[in-house]
Amino acid sequence: MKGCRPIGFILLVSLWLFPVQGAPAAGGDKTLYEGDSIYHHITIRQDGRERCMIFGRQRDLRQTCIDLEMPDASIFEYTSMMFAAFLFRPEAKTVCLIGLGGGYIPTVFRLHLPQVRLQTVEVDPLVEKLAKQYFGFSIPAGQSLAIDDGRQFLKKSRERYDQIWLDAFNSDYIPAHMTTKEFLTLARSRLTEGGIVVQNLFGGNRLYDAQIETFRSVFAKVYVFEGQRSGSCVIVGSDRPASDPAGLRKLAERMGGKIGRIDLFAEAVKCKVPPAVKKAPILTDDYNPANLLLMEKNKN
Amino acid sequence: MQIVYTVFILLLVSFGAVVMSLEILSSNLMSPYFGGSIYIWGSIISSFMVHFSVGYVAGGYLSRRLPRISVLAACLVGCSLWVLMIPVIYQPVCEFLSENIGDVRLGSLAAMNVIFFVPVSIMAMVSPYIIGITTAWPRQSGFTAGMVLFISTVGSFAGTNVTAFYLISLFPVSRIITGLGIICLAVSLTVLALRIDRRI
Repeated sequence: MKGCRPIGFILLVSLWLFPVQGAPAAGGDKTLYEGDSIYHHITIRQDGRERCMIFGRQRDLRQTCIDLEMPDASIFEYTSMMFAAFLFRPEAKTVCLIGLGGGYIPTVFRLHLPQVRLQTVEVDPLVEKLAKQYFGFSIPAGQSLAIDDGRQFLKKSRERYDQIWLDAFNSDYIPAHMTTKEFLTLARSRLTEGGIVVQNLFGGNRLYDAQIETFRSVFAKVYVFEGQRSGSCVIVGSDRPASDPAGLRKLAERMGGKIGRIDLFAEAVKCKVPPAVKKAPILTDDYNPANLLLMEKNKN
Repeated sequence: MQIVYTVFILLLVSFGAVVMSLEILSSNLMSPYFGGSIYIWGSIISSFMVHFSVGYVAGGYLSRRLPRISVLAACLVGCSLWVLMIPVIYQPVCEFLSENIGDVRLGSLAAMNVIFFVPVSIMAMVSPYIIGITTAWPRQSGFTAGMVLFISTVGSFAGTNVTAFYLISLFPVSRIITGLGIICLAVSLTVLALRIDRRI
């Protein structure tokens, strides 16, 4: 048996020297791109018809996925939940989206909401390039894209938006400077009369409660949509006391119930008013342990 | 003599810890104004390196011209007062610079230097000053240059981790910086009061 040891060692070392990177794994899963930008380690993988952009090293952390044959089908629950924003401002003409990813959300706007002027803001130039190259992202007339930090963009912007969508957060890291009361106050100041701020976040951690408390410190009315298939949630802040969940369903009916493949009825029932939260701190520029709170799971 | 070594260790550990604590906290001061990218860390680290090098040269020079701990301690009192001012000055400074400098790299670099140049340069004087004083002693001391740097670096290690892992989740950043300023002021006033130079 002793003689086996060096062989085992050599095998171990060679496993370490030759990572599986790039090699086709079982199930037709293949890596199309792997590289680093100044912000992320980005991988693009494809499994069957599903193509995903992944940030970070954890392979199960999918940032954006699209169905290659149905680019407007929402693979993640939260992306369709975000479109419930139109239940609050159905007549919205201008939307600002912070966070591009693979460009699923702009694609739905391009195909099904062409009357809306969409301003997308993405911090990472490589993400834009990859979204165009691998995810069929394009900027049609009426849409525009800025490469900038979301907070800096809003600060410099003199535009007013009917809806501001924040999709710059993923389940293991969030840009802390876009969680604070000061940031939400800035976003609110860039809204038209009765405008809303929509943000995706993940349940089951202490940041969830802190974010809701922070939204409540800025907006008169806060709604939360809780995912049924996933831990994703969508939070909506508004100054106009809009309708209750029953009213949202009626509104969904009036809008025809659908935006492309997104079923607004199914999204409307996920709304919780008022959202139940545990006691949590309000996040400010001065006190902001957002990423530490994200790692603290709620004990239920 | 014992008290002299105790004072040296106190100075090295506390200022070694505070300087790194400030470095960690500065990212929280910068990110609301200049974003949370790697650029911010580039500005923070490069600015601190410039301040360190200025402090090393100044500390070495002053330790020859004025080889007295009281001179160092007096500088550190000034540095502590500056640290206590940071929570008051950082907002208007960052606001002004982010509005007037379009490029976040230049803007954050400028902000880091305006806010931290004076206190961090003075803090960086501690190690070379102590090395300068002990090497001028007629008898050989156990306090080698390597030992001085070791003690100060252990302080830095503690300051970095305690701040990043615990303090940020417990207190607002402005309160932590005020706390650091009070520690610096207390240490430097104590050292002044002990009149160490007479005991060497």
